[in-house]
Amino acid sequence: MLSPAHQTRILGILTDLTAIPSAEIQPGDRLSEDLGMDSVTRMELVSMLAEQFDLDIELEEAVAVEDVRGILALAEARLGHG
Amino acid sequence: MVEPEELAVVAALNETLERLGRGIDARAIDAAGRIPSELIEQLADLGLFGLSLPTEHGGYGLSLSACGSVVAQLARFDRSVATTVGLHLGLGSRGLVAFGSPQQQAELLPAMALGRPIAAFAATEPGAGSDLTAVRTRVQEGGRGVQVDGSKIYVTNGALAGIFTILARSPGLGGNKRGQSLVLLRDTDEGVKVGAEEGKLGLRGSSTTSLDLDGVQVPADRILGVPGQAPEQLAHILAWGRTMMAAGCCGTGRAALDAAHRHCGFREQFGRRLSALPVVGQQLAEGEALLFAMEALVRYAAGSDEAGLRTRSLAAKVLCSEGGWELADLAVQLHGGSGFIEETGVALLLRDARVPRIFEGANDVLRVHLGLHTAGSAQPVEGDSLEAEVANLGVALRERLGARLGGAPLMMHALGSLAGLALASRAAVERAEQEASPQATALAETWLRLARLRALPHLHRLREASP
Repeated sequence: MLSPAHQTRILGILTDLTAIPSAEIQPGDRLSEDLGMDSVTRMELVSMLAEQFDLDIELEEAVAVEDVRGILALAEARLGHG
Repeated sequence: MVEPEELAVVAALNETLERLGRGIDARAIDAAGRIPSELIEQLADLGLFGLSLPTEHGGYGLSLSACGSVVAQLARFDRSVATTVGLHLGLGSRGLVAFGSPQQQAELLPAMALGRPIAAFAATEPGAGSDLTAVRTRVQEGGRGVQVDGSKIYVTNGALAGIFTILARSPGLGGNKRGQSLVLLRDTDEGVKVGAEEGKLGLRGSSTTSLDLDGVQVPADRILGVPGQAPEQLAHILAWGRTMMAAGCCGTGRAALDAAHRHCGFREQFGRRLSALPVVGQQLAEGEALLFAMEALVRYAAGSDEAGLRTRSLAAKVLCSEGGWELADLAVQLHGGSGFIEETGVALLLRDARVPRIFEGANDVLRVHLGLHTAGSAQPVEGDSLEAEVANLGVALRERLGARLGGAPLMMHALGSLAGLALASRAAVERAEQEASPQATALAETWLRLARLRALPHLHRLREASP
């Protein structure tokens, strides 16, 4: 599990990009259909994750993520637990 | 390329438009701020509003290339007229043609093919221009099906249209928490209110209005295709619309160069005709090479498969709208003081050429999108062509930045600008090979040299922006 602080920061990034309050964003929400993100916004999302957490993320892997759960898993795999 | 079986139809239409066009008074349309209804009737009688519509519904069923060729021909005579027709054929009707149900198509397309009604597309809002994810207009369950509420601005064909394709947020529809859908609305639907005509810098004969949607209740089958699929549908519709618009820019470019050639062929300064002055001669020759590349890129984009069209239409829209503006500006410049006077007609060309750089996606936004696509998909290419250089730059940036590409808009803007030049170069070379004439070869070679020169500032910016 990601630490609550990391989860909060990731949800904050999603809020910045979609204007949807963090409290309304659920792990099962799909980035396109449920959060209304287009391909460019999705690239901005992974870019912000990479920047803010100093993560090395392959572009191909990042664009394949389809939902919030996938984004959290992507971050968790690199940040580890806590 | 126009398909061989379409060549005769397009040739006949363009010949008819050549005659009809000579009777179009562009300055009168500009002054009146509207296209005479008799002219719209004539265009409808020719079948122009059905060019891209399926034959089984009364249209010509022409390809995007063929439609673009006709729209370019119209734009030579008046850009407002070309915009009215082109918008109907592209953004206005494409959603219904590509995603409408058989019932929707059978009900609406036969009349639309006759231009009765004319179609419009309404996506832009005060808070949502190039960023269409920000639209506030909503469609949700209500009344006898769905209810639409919101407002749109800058609706081309707004006051002429009887049918509108509307982009709206669609929370809860189709099992999607949020998402967007496209909805078909009629001007007669209760709660649809078309606003007043906007006063504009150019394209004054083309109708541009706002659209208020106040509790518009329509059957649920007015939603195009599957609810929540608007982003995917928009990608297709905008690719058509942008290519059609790029074709119109080529028509403006042709009109501008023709006017410049005419003027420079008789106007004398320094004891010689302007066209005999080396600098003017070079400007005209390079203008022709630019137009050759613009036309080639439109054909290249229009002849692509769906994935290719989506990318290449970005390049065509940017390069052709910038090129149309540049050629209109050249015509004004070469006319000297008279170019600034409305009577010569080139001032109108310049005013009309301005907004294509903005609408259907502001060019700088599209450059970033094109750059992101190039960096995200480029494969190594051998050789010393501009296309190879840009592809290899894209690969290098992807390897260096990885997922950080989306956070490097300045680099993506420069890369997108380069990608447009590279695609136009490839298209120009292919066109020259197809036409196989000394003139086409010379124009392509001139464009390749120009494209290299135009690439320099973008290469510099890319180096400047690199970490």
